[in-house]
Amino acid sequence: MGNSISKVMVKMFGYREMKILMLGLDNAGKTTILYKLKLNKIKTSAPTVGFNVETVSFRNVKFNMWDVGGQDRLRPLWRHYFPATTALIFVVDSQDMKRLNEAKEELYSIISDKEMEDVVLLVLANKQDLKDAMNPQEVSDYLELKDHLNNQLWCVIGSNALTGQGLVEGLSWITNNTKAKDKK
Amino acid sequence: MSRNSTTDHFVSAEFGPINGGRPVYLTSKSPSVPNLNETFTEDFKKRLSPERAQSQLNTTSVAEESTNVSLIDLYGGEEDDDEELEQAARNSDVPRSSTNSASADSPRRPSVGKDLSEYDRYGFKKHNAHVSQEEYHEWWDEYSRYCIRRKRKWQDLLEKSGLGSDNDVPDRFPPRSEKLKRYVRKGIPAEWRGQAWWHFARGQEKLNKNKGLYDQLLTNFNERNDKSSGRDLEVIERDLHRTFPENIHFQRQPTDNEEPLMIQSLRRVLLAFSVYNPKIGYCQSMNFLAGLLLLFLDEEKTFWMLVIITSRYLPGVHNVNLEGVNVDQGVLMLCVKEYLPEFWHRIVSKQQSRNNEFLYKLPPITLCTASWFMSCFVGIVPIETTLRIWDCLFYEESHILFKVSLSILRICEQELGIARQNHRVLRNKAPSKDDEDIEIFQVLQTVPKKLLDPQNIFDRIIFKRRISLNNLNQEEIDRCRKYVTSQRLKLKNYADIMGNRPSATGGAKRDLTMGPEFVENALSSEVYGFRRSLTAAHWNNSIKEKVRQIRRK
Repeated sequence: MGNSISKVMVKMFGYREMKILMLGLDNAGKTTILYKLKLNKIKTSAPTVGFNVETVSFRNVKFNMWDVGGQDRLRPLWRHYFPATTALIFVVDSQDMKRLNEAKEELYSIISDKEMEDVVLLVLANKQDLKDAMNPQEVSDYLELKDHLNNQLWCVIGSNALTGQGLVEGLSWITNNTKAKDKK
Repeated sequence: MSRNSTTDHFVSAEFGPINGGRPVYLTSKSPSVPNLNETFTEDFKKRLSPERAQSQLNTTSVAEESTNVSLIDLYGGEEDDDEELEQAARNSDVPRSSTNSASADSPRRPSVGKDLSEYDRYGFKKHNAHVSQEEYHEWWDEYSRYCIRRKRKWQDLLEKSGLGSDNDVPDRFPPRSEKLKRYVRKGIPAEWRGQAWWHFARGQEKLNKNKGLYDQLLTNFNERNDKSSGRDLEVIERDLHRTFPENIHFQRQPTDNEEPLMIQSLRRVLLAFSVYNPKIGYCQSMNFLAGLLLLFLDEEKTFWMLVIITSRYLPGVHNVNLEGVNVDQGVLMLCVKEYLPEFWHRIVSKQQSRNNEFLYKLPPITLCTASWFMSCFVGIVPIETTLRIWDCLFYEESHILFKVSLSILRICEQELGIARQNHRVLRNKAPSKDDEDIEIFQVLQTVPKKLLDPQNIFDRIIFKRRISLNNLNQEEIDRCRKYVTSQRLKLKNYADIMGNRPSATGGAKRDLTMGPEFVENALSSEVYGFRRSLTAAHWNNSIKEKVRQIRRK
């Protein structure tokens, strides 16, 4: 992303663009979140075999959001295409207790990747509307982010893709926490 | 949102039918659609009736109670009266108002609480975010007439070949010929598709060699219950209810106390497959392949078709190591370089293009195109277009997938040109590289979804006489696949020798640390040469064909 035009633009107007990767276990609600942000609509979605990409503008930032789906075995297909990612949004289904451990493993396997060293991490504890859903604090405790992430900036926010709750908060958190790191 | 439906079918205890004695799937034909008619209606009605579980076992009595079932016109058209577009150019032996005969064998659907007019003849929702209601109707009005004309043609062809039968669905088809190929390319009648696919893919051969295996696999699965099969089961379960959530046959009706039969069949097919071929197990996208097949064929046939697709047409594509995906994407990139040079230069740098580095470090757009191949365009393009692609796939094999991809990319290229102009006008400056990438991806993502009319790619691009795409045949693709496989292998071996293992887990992972010199050293300077036809040769061929036609007359 070390593009000189955008560098100048950042200096002059504070206008920024960033690449955001949205990951999480299948059926966590990634595609739904993407289209809620983009179109303010709910799409019934089928498993994403490839990916969806949309640009979402928010304040003075243009987010290029990549929603990459698929089973874990399809990960090798895309994992090396995202070297210049600014932020990672990891979506968790807060109600699916059975798979929370799997989500945790997945998160750490992604974060440990060399390409992901510098990203800021936003965890969306999604599906807060469902009863029995764990609250963001519980999700955060379960994932043990405090103990494991020393170098990374991270944050857990509760969200509900159906109403859009938490999504804008998430994006503004990313905006506020990437200034120093963006556009090296 | 499928959130509430995914978790409640999680346990293997769901497999009631397999457990006790003779499996139910043996007696109940899956509710396939266009063969359908009575069987389907019956099945569907059972789903709605409370005594369903019982009647399920008793499927020999087909179509006894077909009252209170509304008749939906398969082709939705009124009278086939006016403009016979296609016909004007050809001989005009098509009867007027053929709708009546066509609707006699149309599928009947029971009236559910849903507005059935919103669903097409396969149970898919007609309009969506990419296709508006008006667009759909405008197109369907025209296309349904086309379908009726084509069906007439097929009936004539079968009659002439002595294969006409009283039964509407033919059980045999004429031997392969140029004429038959042309007919297939123009679309197989919807209600014959199941039979025709099965026939052209030589499914029966496969089934005859493996009689009883499908049942055996399911029994085995049930008895085994080991860890690896449990894992496949879990992954399959999660995708079952997200397969065609907008198709009526895959939806749970309010009156249902059990899950839809389609979902049960889909589960069994995918499970049987994961036991049959552990190298593949279950790979996402196979749910779409099997799901679509189930709309046209029964369970056992669907299973064997899935075996045929994953081995004959897309070898290695669904394997755990994904090497097949990478090979096919390499082949596609070579084709893009050959057939769409301008587009090629937009997606690949000159450096990468010169040596064969791109065969190993595939350009990012393959992220998108890989999913086209994995699901054979199911869910990528609208349903009627998908079905036309599948017609050709089973008759002409996998090179059709490359042709379709190239045609779609060609449309994308045009679209990008337009987008570029608009961009310039609006912003009055050239877009940045990032913008450009995003733009390409967005076009690649939305253009296929709008390909409502199959004619847009079939008649206008793929099979257009004077377009060079005609030279791209199966032989060429097979040769190209071999070439890419060997190039990728060479690079991997070279990397191994140099101690720079490109991958820790097999060939699927791409390593960005390999520089261009590395690639140059690794790969010999062999360049893949496409067989280019000379204009004269091309002309010659068409003359030959004309002479043949005259002789026949």
